[in-house]
Amino acid sequence: MSIDAIALEMRDITKSFPGVRALEAVSFDCAHGEVHAICGENGAGKSTLIKVLGGIYQPDAGSILIEGKPAAFSHPVEARRAGISIIHQELSLLPHRTVAENIYLGLEPTRGGRLDRKAMMEGARRLLGRLGSPISADARAGDLAIAEQQTVEIAKALALDARILVMDEPTAALDDTNAKRLLDLVARLRSEGVAIVYVSHRMPEIAAIADRVTIMKDGRKVETAPIGAMPTDRIVRLMVGRELSDYYPARPDTPPGDVLLEIAGGGNAELADIDLSVRAGEIVGIAGLEGSGKAALARAIFGDQPFTRGTVRFLGAPIDLRHPRAGIEAGIGFLSDDRKREGCLLQQSLRDNLLLVRRAFASPVRGSRAGTLADGEADTMMRRLDVRAAHFGQAIGALSGGNQQKVILGRWLARDPRLLVFCEPTRGIDVAAKAAIYQLMRDVAARGRGVVMVSSDLPEVIGVSDRILVMHQGRIAGECSPEVGEEGVMALAVGHRPAPLDVAREGALA
Amino acid sequence: MSVAAAGEPKWNGGMSLFRKINIAVIVFVILYAGIAILQPNYLEPAGITNFLRRATPLAVLACGQIFVLVAGGFDLSMGALVTLTVIGGSMLTDNDPGNTAWAILVLYAIGLGVGLVNGLVVTVLRVPSIIATLGMLLSLNGVAMMWSGGSPRGYLPDNFRFFGRFTFRDVPLVGSFPVAVVVLVVVALAAWWGLQKTVFGKRVFAIGDNPRAAALSGVRVEATRIAAFVISALAAVTGGILLGGFGGVSVDVGSGLELQAIAACVIGGVQLMGGRGSVIGAVAGALTLFALFTLLNLLGLPQPLKDTAQGVILISAVASGAWRRRRAG
Repeated sequence: MSIDAIALEMRDITKSFPGVRALEAVSFDCAHGEVHAICGENGAGKSTLIKVLGGIYQPDAGSILIEGKPAAFSHPVEARRAGISIIHQELSLLPHRTVAENIYLGLEPTRGGRLDRKAMMEGARRLLGRLGSPISADARAGDLAIAEQQTVEIAKALALDARILVMDEPTAALDDTNAKRLLDLVARLRSEGVAIVYVSHRMPEIAAIADRVTIMKDGRKVETAPIGAMPTDRIVRLMVGRELSDYYPARPDTPPGDVLLEIAGGGNAELADIDLSVRAGEIVGIAGLEGSGKAALARAIFGDQPFTRGTVRFLGAPIDLRHPRAGIEAGIGFLSDDRKREGCLLQQSLRDNLLLVRRAFASPVRGSRAGTLADGEADTMMRRLDVRAAHFGQAIGALSGGNQQKVILGRWLARDPRLLVFCEPTRGIDVAAKAAIYQLMRDVAARGRGVVMVSSDLPEVIGVSDRILVMHQGRIAGECSPEVGEEGVMALAVGHRPAPLDVAREGALA
Repeated sequence: MSVAAAGEPKWNGGMSLFRKINIAVIVFVILYAGIAILQPNYLEPAGITNFLRRATPLAVLACGQIFVLVAGGFDLSMGALVTLTVIGGSMLTDNDPGNTAWAILVLYAIGLGVGLVNGLVVTVLRVPSIIATLGMLLSLNGVAMMWSGGSPRGYLPDNFRFFGRFTFRDVPLVGSFPVAVVVLVVVALAAWWGLQKTVFGKRVFAIGDNPRAAALSGVRVEATRIAAFVISALAAVTGGILLGGFGGVSVDVGSGLELQAIAACVIGGVQLMGGRGSVIGAVAGALTLFALFTLLNLLGLPQPLKDTAQGVILISAVASGAWRRRRAG
């Protein structure tokens, strides 16, 4: 690779958000005709780096060079004009417009000031042909399968004459056949001299397509090396290679109690063949990458997105939960991963937020502060949880993420369900609050409740769980004990399973 | 953010309530002062109670509308239901005072039905409330027109008109006291209790703030929303019975009242899109709006100018509310 072939260079990019240093002096480059993969755990800084490249974020420090010339993007449009096209995980096609209209969105060919529909159709057909795709240019985008929509997104990028194509987990939503097809497409674009930045969690894919790999962790670049020097084992080790912090609570010596929850053959649109059991007093971690179905599993257990297949037994009796209220009545609680959209009543007071579940199950004409709904009850709980606020009558929207999370957790502790499902319990909260929440989870388990913790944060899964289920493509890829470490969990999560792990899996299934 | 341990929040509840309503109260006092300058008898007890009497229907409607607004919706069918109540009252009583009692029962049953239909269309058919209740407005206007055959009878029996019209004489201190004001106090207290003192009221705030979070916490979002529409409709029937005592029977007696009720709530600090508001604010907003109408009347402004002034005031109220919230953070 000669120096003059470098299409893109990012030098010492640093970017901070309030309280978080998302990128720390990250340098990255990509040549024409090269696929450069970026790997890293969730939160390693990959997305931030891409957003800086795409002009969505402005870096605090560092520089970007496009074909050797310095560039500064203050807006996504500027990045696009410079020949950078980003295909995000969430596709952005307009579902009610045709394929051709989507491809030429914002750069519609005109003749005499009017839309030149014929030129647009021809151009779209030419681009799709170049991608070797049979998609009809006048199909409605919303009618296409996800894989086809992705192809249209790529055609859209090519319509801009993108010389640098950034793909953020492009195969996350695809099955194996379509993923393979996409990789062929990537190879074809590479042969045309496009520089491709490829973000993915799927190790086999990276081994197959990437020329170079860059590993990121905690906002820093760990290493960049040619794929030949980066076997999958090494990538995984570099991705997770950090020490376990010591703020995880000690595991109890006592064995877990009776089985609380037992699912056999559970499935729905996002899940298949789910077999799991949760015992009283244990914390079951559910790991997996984005889109692996781990969040869907949590929602299915709670009854928010119910199972449509299989059998579920809870406290010894079969249950079939159709909605959240049924889940709560059965004795299950659920802490959503989206605190803002699904947790907080942002304009209501801390007390009203904390008492929400209790009030949902009280008589409607009961006094809103009667008996167990009194301010004092709420305040006691919030003091126990060490909620820091100016006063408990203040709106929850003004609090930090960690304090909000404690209040929402308190909402469930006030109900004290037999099984608590935590979804990303420490997402976006500071270290001190994290430690407090881990301890609270352990306390809940110690009182004989079952705890299911879904988390994308591997150290947390390892540090807190008694045993771990790893999800991959809507299924439980395996079960392991925390002793297998982050590498063992990550290997299962990326669908790469070295032999030694099978032992742990067999043991836990019994 | 302060890291102090939670202190005594007592003063703050009162403080935030005060902050929420004080604009409406201040504007009301200014407007009422203007009225009093033009018509000094508005300062006499009889003048004040008479003002309250005439403001009562609007205040009662605001007390119902606030439930739907706080739950995150709109009820545009209120005014049409007021019209239907007045027309229906005249048709059902048929000039016979003996019919009044059951006629009122039937009218409340109609209100219950209207509220249920509004609520079910919004929750089951998932029609946005602004459209659902707009459709109800048009339908109810049509029903009222058909029922009366286009030419409503001239008046209602006196005992039907009692609630809006009758005034107790020789009451100590104030001299005279209208029944309507008693109704207002009762309705306002009931609404205040229901919205701010019960578990049900807390659920209304919860679904208006974040229906998804409320549902995930086990709140029956749909049932709560339907109940809000029923309360609003029952308030509209009450308002209609009061208005029936004021003037003649006509097919446009309630037209526009739904927007006035929404405006009253907004002036009183109720947040459109839900989750925030107080009954005291809604009543204060209704009095403010009615004081504005009265003042514009006394100034002898032509109707178009009155409408324009009303619109400007409404926008200013919402803008100042948003501005205050922004500043409060």
